[in-house]
Amino acid sequence: MGESEMVKITIDGQETEVEDGTTIMKAADKLDIEIPSLCYHPRIGALGNCRLCVSEITKENKSKVVSSCNYPIRKKDEGLSVSTKSDTIIKTRKNVLEMMLSRWPNVPVIKYLAEEYGVQKPRYSHPLADESENACVLCGRCVNACKNIMQQNIIDFSYQGYRRQVVMPFDEMNPDCLGCGTCTYVCPTGAISLTDDPNNPADSELLKEVGLSHSLEIHTLDPKQNEMSTVGTTHLVPIMNEFDLLPVQNFRFGNHPGADNIGSKAYRKRFDSGFDGCWAGCPVACSHVVANFQPRTGPFSGQKVYVDGPEYETIAGCGSNLGIFNPDTITEINFYCDTYGIDTISFGTAMAFAMECYEMGQIDNKATGGLELRFGNEDAALEILHQMAKGEGFGKIVGQGIRNMKKLFVEKYDADPNILNDIGMEAKGLEYSEYVTKESLAQQGGYGLALKGPQHDEAWLIFLDMVHNLMPTFEQKAEALHWFPMFRTWFGLCGLCKLPWNDIVPEDNKTTPEPAKVMKHVEWYSKYFTAVTGRKTAPEDIITLSERVYNFQRLFNLRMGFGKREHDNVPYRSVGPVTVEEYESRQDRYDKELKEKVGIDPSGMSTKEKRDALRKYREAEYEKLKDAVYKRRGWNVQGMPTLEKIKELGIDFQEVLELLKKQ
Amino acid sequence: MTKITITDLKQISERNKSTSEKFKASLLVCAGTGCVANKAFIIRDALEKELKEKNLESDYRVIATGCNGFCAQGPLMLVSPEGTLYLNLKLDDVSTIVDEHLINGKPVQDLMYISPVDETRTPKMKDIQFFKQQQLIILRNRGAIDPEQIDDYIGRGGYQALAHALSEMKPNEILNEVKTSGIRGRGGGGFPTGIKWESCISSAKKTDVAPYLVCNADEGDPGAFMDRSIIEADPHSVIEGMAIGAYAIGAKEGFVYIRKEYPLALERLRKAIQQARDYGLLGQKIFDTDFSFDINIHQGAGAFVSGESSALMTAMEGKVGEPHSKYIHTVESGYKGLPTVLNNVETWANIPVIIEKGGKWFSKIGSGDVSESPWKGSSGTKVFSLVGDIANTGLVEVPMGITLEEIVNKIGGGVPEGRQCKAVQTGGPSGGCIPADLLNLPVDFDTLTQAGSMMGSGGLIVMDDSRCMVDVAKYFIDFLVEESCGKCTPCREGLVIIKTILARVTNGLGEPSDLEMLSDISETIKNASLCDLGGSAPNPALSTLKYFKDEYKAHIIDKKCPAGVCKALIQYTISKENCNGCGVCPKHCPEDAISGEKKELHTIDQSKCVKCGICREVCKFDAVEVE
Repeated sequence: MGESEMVKITIDGQETEVEDGTTIMKAADKLDIEIPSLCYHPRIGALGNCRLCVSEITKENKSKVVSSCNYPIRKKDEGLSVSTKSDTIIKTRKNVLEMMLSRWPNVPVIKYLAEEYGVQKPRYSHPLADESENACVLCGRCVNACKNIMQQNIIDFSYQGYRRQVVMPFDEMNPDCLGCGTCTYVCPTGAISLTDDPNNPADSELLKEVGLSHSLEIHTLDPKQNEMSTVGTTHLVPIMNEFDLLPVQNFRFGNHPGADNIGSKAYRKRFDSGFDGCWAGCPVACSHVVANFQPRTGPFSGQKVYVDGPEYETIAGCGSNLGIFNPDTITEINFYCDTYGIDTISFGTAMAFAMECYEMGQIDNKATGGLELRFGNEDAALEILHQMAKGEGFGKIVGQGIRNMKKLFVEKYDADPNILNDIGMEAKGLEYSEYVTKESLAQQGGYGLALKGPQHDEAWLIFLDMVHNLMPTFEQKAEALHWFPMFRTWFGLCGLCKLPWNDIVPEDNKTTPEPAKVMKHVEWYSKYFTAVTGRKTAPEDIITLSERVYNFQRLFNLRMGFGKREHDNVPYRSVGPVTVEEYESRQDRYDKELKEKVGIDPSGMSTKEKRDALRKYREAEYEKLKDAVYKRRGWNVQGMPTLEKIKELGIDFQEVLELLKKQ
Repeated sequence: MTKITITDLKQISERNKSTSEKFKASLLVCAGTGCVANKAFIIRDALEKELKEKNLESDYRVIATGCNGFCAQGPLMLVSPEGTLYLNLKLDDVSTIVDEHLINGKPVQDLMYISPVDETRTPKMKDIQFFKQQQLIILRNRGAIDPEQIDDYIGRGGYQALAHALSEMKPNEILNEVKTSGIRGRGGGGFPTGIKWESCISSAKKTDVAPYLVCNADEGDPGAFMDRSIIEADPHSVIEGMAIGAYAIGAKEGFVYIRKEYPLALERLRKAIQQARDYGLLGQKIFDTDFSFDINIHQGAGAFVSGESSALMTAMEGKVGEPHSKYIHTVESGYKGLPTVLNNVETWANIPVIIEKGGKWFSKIGSGDVSESPWKGSSGTKVFSLVGDIANTGLVEVPMGITLEEIVNKIGGGVPEGRQCKAVQTGGPSGGCIPADLLNLPVDFDTLTQAGSMMGSGGLIVMDDSRCMVDVAKYFIDFLVEESCGKCTPCREGLVIIKTILARVTNGLGEPSDLEMLSDISETIKNASLCDLGGSAPNPALSTLKYFKDEYKAHIIDKKCPAGVCKALIQYTISKENCNGCGVCPKHCPEDAISGEKKELHTIDQSKCVKCGICREVCKFDAVEVE
């Protein structure tokens, strides 16, 4: 995957250097040279149909007219001179626009372009002139959006030549149409509209209205806000790094200068441009593939493989948290985890724990089978992964997870159980997912109080709490730790993805009273629910819907021996600095907290003393948070749902009552 | 059937020769599509029956061959090896030939060619002007073999070039021979074949994949039948060429994309591929070398645009056959996105001869000097289908550089019935019309392009002075309007607009500004279209505008059609001097527009007349005039 070659050309007299294969359209765009087009749309790809984007290329005195959208500038074009405004080009565009205008005299986009080029009344009348304002202009965007973005072939052209038209097969409603509406957004004239929804919702009009607004917002704002359709969730790497939230070396630190190598910048180049979304109708399509990747280790070594490319947590877990900042190694770990059926987050966090144990001397290279299990050792990480899959060597031990490793290291290698409990990033037996929670008490709860273990599926409150300081009191934190888990649970209940809720947000979201909730979208979701089911549902009803399920889940945990206060404990690494080194790396911050919040003057104290004082304070805060959250959720101090709550929710079944009585 | 070796090849060849020597003569009945349509198979069956009845089976054998080329005079039969050619055969002629020629030894004068010059009979095929001027490389086996017998092909040296290539030559040596030959693609574009192969080899090497190889047999031009005839007459020459090409570029799989409308060619190709497979000339480890190659047939569904290479490959992928931009050439990304060499039927049929006789030998034939660069000339021969207002309609093969005049007047026997040649349309529907005063132009890729037409795949339509050139332009534009795929704006909309303007002109409603508008729109279609079909589509309008502007002006300004073709601009009248009131024309008029008693002057009611011209055709006294 070497760097691409660069090609020097001039466009309208301006010299520029572009990567081999860049189209004239993209090269011109970088120079802010505008080229008109009707059929070109960056997400659909170049079609070369409308011929308005023509430009004239000249090399060695030979000129040719080409379409800018799909003419690739290649090494052989070195020294090429491109004119987007030559006399021939202007004349050609005028004539093509005149042809269009004669056939579709009232379509606004054509009228607009024609006017811009000074084309007034056509010199001739077109035998098939269509007076409609939203006539189909045969640009092909819809057909190719359906094919290229949605990976469907619901609509296509039929007939040839001037009889060409866009239809569903045999002019009948295609039962396979997802009703995603993509063709309607990309249509430049409004010729296509949704008529029927094949999913048979209770209120298809309402669904269409909300669905169109939401998809249109994503289509418009994702490219500005996150570019998930191009770079997936890799855009989070530089953001988390900036806010000290990117786990580095088993969550010891929150940022690293190497992070730049493993974020969107690195993967933009590696990701294949093709669609890899979960569902063909998805306008976010955050998932991306690294095509023709060649692993350097393991059974696929040297072969070309497709990798269902790394997302943020894979990069953080299998990269920065292991001290690895090589994007190709991360891709390779990603590939083998997928191939072997291993979760990348559990692998990353467990591996990071094993590495730190090794670095601390809690285990030695006899335990690891001779592997130098230091942070940043890419080969060792890959070797452990292969061993894990084969059920051999030290890999087999790491594969059993942190909870088992802690037990085994103490029993077998005489490791210090206290240290292991502090740095072993697991709760309820599950490995932590990849955000540093040390500085956000609310998020410590977000992880620790999550029913299935420490991951942000239930709540992600870090910015709200730490960056924006929007919930200073325990009551406010508890309210958030009630509302967000309930709302997020609702997504799970409906089988929906959360990215369209709060990763792409309305442009005015910041100025709303509760930006974290993205209330405009919450309203939309309640409308979705109403439209699909026919049950009139308000935003607060969504929370009630979840609450029953959520309490049931807690009761299930209880029955399985995981549903009490003690099970909501978290390792101290997720709450504060475990080691002196960690404390010192953020000394100013911690000293300030001691002074302002704990009420201790840190001057004159040793780091160890300060660290211990901070720990005492933070651990107590976490316990207070538990109390507040349990209260808000209607649970007792033991973290169990009260009888009252159970009755209120109407889940006071005999089996539930017996379970609670036993405790 | 077991695989044959190189030694076997020689034995088959000799066996085939000695078989034919056993007979006094072989009766080669042309079974090309034209002759078959004129009952060639029935004649062959009758001939076989006659021979059997007269116990001549062991002395004479009947072979149904591919197209002989002299289509205007079919059905044809050649008595080989002596060379007597019988023309315009009818079922009754069979017994005459058998009795008089075969039994009595007196060739049948009445069935021989009559020279238009001195009206004498020409018994031998080789002495007929039509054949004399031709040079057969591609059509080397035409009319000489049974295309359904692989042994016949081998008997004439077939598959020797493949054997030689595989046993004695390295792939790059083959490439060098093809490059030396200077051969340029016969499909119309005239791109040098050697350069195409070389680019394909280098892009396949870069991506480490086996390239594909395609034979384009999607001949779709009206009046063109070169490729069909080659496959019908000599399918193995194409297969052998493809196999040699595959060895040179490293392909393992090849395709022939052939129109479904060519049932006879398709059937013969299928049989030939099967025979080649049975002999192990296609398939695994050909001639026990490491080279394996096979050919599959892909049937086209009849869209004209599918003959364009990118559209053809898209169609092969099972999608709608529409072209796409070829800024990245198909040698880099073709069928299924892999490097693909596509050559036309005729190009492939040349390859075995180039290998057999050497690239240098080939390069000396034709025009220009290709020793430095294939772009500097047009080497080899070209097959043309000669049709239109011409005496000898048929299939001809001539060296490149021959003049149109020689083709039209010498080989073609000129324009019949004392009319004058007005123009020759070359290059298929999107080619152009070359006026009679440019007939001394040499026929090669570059000259024709400079003259505003193109070589195309080899259609030559001769037009006499009864043709209206505006009407001709309209005819071809109408064809292209229907065949434009409609993907890009200029070709889809521009052609319809040109069609409308031409219709207006031929209806006498043209305006002086139409001329400039026509060329303006045509230029835009030419410059801005997505594919080469669109790029050349305005040629019929452009070339007639260039050479026959006066005729356009006559339509627009004088409101007259000088050739008397455009109905809106002509009037049929009956001359007082010539009409003797015979009563024939009123009887034939479909609209009852002619009145007049017997022996009295007839008159045409212009309000009823639909200008069909029947009255003029039936009048024996030249009394119906058109103006």
